[in-house]
Amino acid sequence: MSTSPEQNASLSWLADPLASTREAAERTYRAVGDRRAWLLPTALGVALLAISLLGLWQSAEDFFFAYLTGWSFLVTTALGGLFFLIFHHLTRASWSVTINRINESLIWAFPLLFVLGIPLLFGMHDLYHWTHAELYDPSSPEYDEILAGKRAYLNTPFWIARMVFYFAVWTLVSYRLYAFSIRQDVDPDPDIPAKLRSTSAWGLPLTAVTVAFASYDILMSTSPHWFSTIFGVYFFSGGILSAVAVITLVAALLQSTGGRLQGVITKEHYQDLGKYLFGFVVFWAYIAFSQYMLYWYGGIPEETVWFQHRLQDGWGWHSAFLLGFHFVVPFLVLLPRGTKRTLPILSVMAVWLIGMHWFDLHWVVLPVLRDSAGFHWVDFTCWLGLTGIFAGGLMYRLSRHPLVPQNHPSLSASLHFENS
Amino acid sequence: MLDELLREIKAMMGIYDSDADQVYGLLAEFPDPGALLHAAEAVREEGYSHFDTHSPFPIHGMDDAMGLGNSKVGYFTFLGGVTGLATATLLQWWTAAVDYPLNISGKPFFAVEPSVPIMFELTVLFAAFGAVGGMLALNGLPRPYNPLFYSERFKGASDDRFFLHIAASDDQFDAEETARTLRSIGALHIELVQDDGVADA
Repeated sequence: MSTSPEQNASLSWLADPLASTREAAERTYRAVGDRRAWLLPTALGVALLAISLLGLWQSAEDFFFAYLTGWSFLVTTALGGLFFLIFHHLTRASWSVTINRINESLIWAFPLLFVLGIPLLFGMHDLYHWTHAELYDPSSPEYDEILAGKRAYLNTPFWIARMVFYFAVWTLVSYRLYAFSIRQDVDPDPDIPAKLRSTSAWGLPLTAVTVAFASYDILMSTSPHWFSTIFGVYFFSGGILSAVAVITLVAALLQSTGGRLQGVITKEHYQDLGKYLFGFVVFWAYIAFSQYMLYWYGGIPEETVWFQHRLQDGWGWHSAFLLGFHFVVPFLVLLPRGTKRTLPILSVMAVWLIGMHWFDLHWVVLPVLRDSAGFHWVDFTCWLGLTGIFAGGLMYRLSRHPLVPQNHPSLSASLHFENS
Repeated sequence: MLDELLREIKAMMGIYDSDADQVYGLLAEFPDPGALLHAAEAVREEGYSHFDTHSPFPIHGMDDAMGLGNSKVGYFTFLGGVTGLATATLLQWWTAAVDYPLNISGKPFFAVEPSVPIMFELTVLFAAFGAVGGMLALNGLPRPYNPLFYSERFKGASDDRFFLHIAASDDQFDAEETARTLRSIGALHIELVQDDGVADA
């Protein structure tokens, strides 16, 4: 007799692949609140995307670049969550069990993100210079020897095939991590933790390699002449920072507005999340600077060109802002023990870092389009619109299952966890 | 005034002065870590502040029970880090731009970019010095002589015994009164330790 939750029907599979197990939840772990929790962000998101269509009509280029920024923001955040969950399974972390369900709800995002990525196909010509056919015609004045040399890799059919492959891998890994954990809520099969660990073990290298190549394909190839071998790590570092911030923020929201998880997610857990935020702030700065310093030192024009543009025409202000507010200020604020244990400060930092992650991607993507720095209103509406739909999906999943993996063998250890 | 301050600082580091009769304090032995934890709580509630506990391993929750508050090592670490950052900046600037300017492929004599790794390393190094030095200072270490060593039983503190020591320098200390208190909270064995090497059971 199988007690595993059934598969969800066709379209809602995108939002949650499994039937609700809410009824099986122990009272303390049952989500409360009504449809508004997920309907409101979704509706706001759809409305903002509808407004963004005005931008498409006004200037297609601006729209597509803004859309790519917003979409990459969500892809990196979901991937960061996937890594974060994998790390916890592989190290048998027990402190994090009470926040695992929020993390699991975050990672079932790839099918939806794949669908939300389809509009980008209509903007390939604007977004990716390497799609222009005349670059490869030796008789054309636009002929580009360098890009012609990269053509075997950078061409539209192969690019699309790779995207399908990446999303298939991410969906597979996240499906297994999500579904096994949900099944554990109704069926305390003692083999499940081992299955979660083995999926994490083969899922980690597979995800790591696909994420590196995805970073080249999605973002780095917007400047197709330029290359950076550390770009994949850079892509990852911002994403996992954003993911930890999202988990912190969702936990804080469930507690403060939903009144849930009191005594389940405690100061001790927030302090650990704060340590991770602090750690990944430093890691991001370390990687971002490593990328910059080697090119500064080498001083080879084809390598420095990418940074040169980002230090001129107002983009220099964006670079300085990144240094100050993606690193220095969060570093100093998150350094003391006290701030990590004070939920209002930690929540503000979480929101701040989520915003800074988008700003970071904006700094990567938009200088490709714009000679001088600045924002277009569609940058914000695309980002927040996509994020609204994404957040709606996250809250929808959370509302349908117990808020913590209630049969996890280390749950009790997590509930009593204390920082020494 | 200054003596008083010095005494308090030393007491914070676990170094207590003996009283006029060379009495260093009372050493009480407790049967297990739990009893020691509760004893520390009880002694603190009685109003003692110059006391310390000794056990073969760290006891979870003991810092709370003793009312120690957060460790102050972090401030030393931070100070060390800032010192390291400043030192590295000065070092890089002075050696490269002042003392021995050398043109290397037209790069500026001093620039932040190539100096960051040195700034980072010295920040970490000095922060580690600050942490280790701060930890030693706050613990009053190294401390080769401690009157408690006169007690034969105290050797068990690194093996299987659990001790609480109330110092004679505590304002509330009174050999008999304090011994009674210790007995009432479950001490197995109490001895009066003296700085001149006499330990009375």
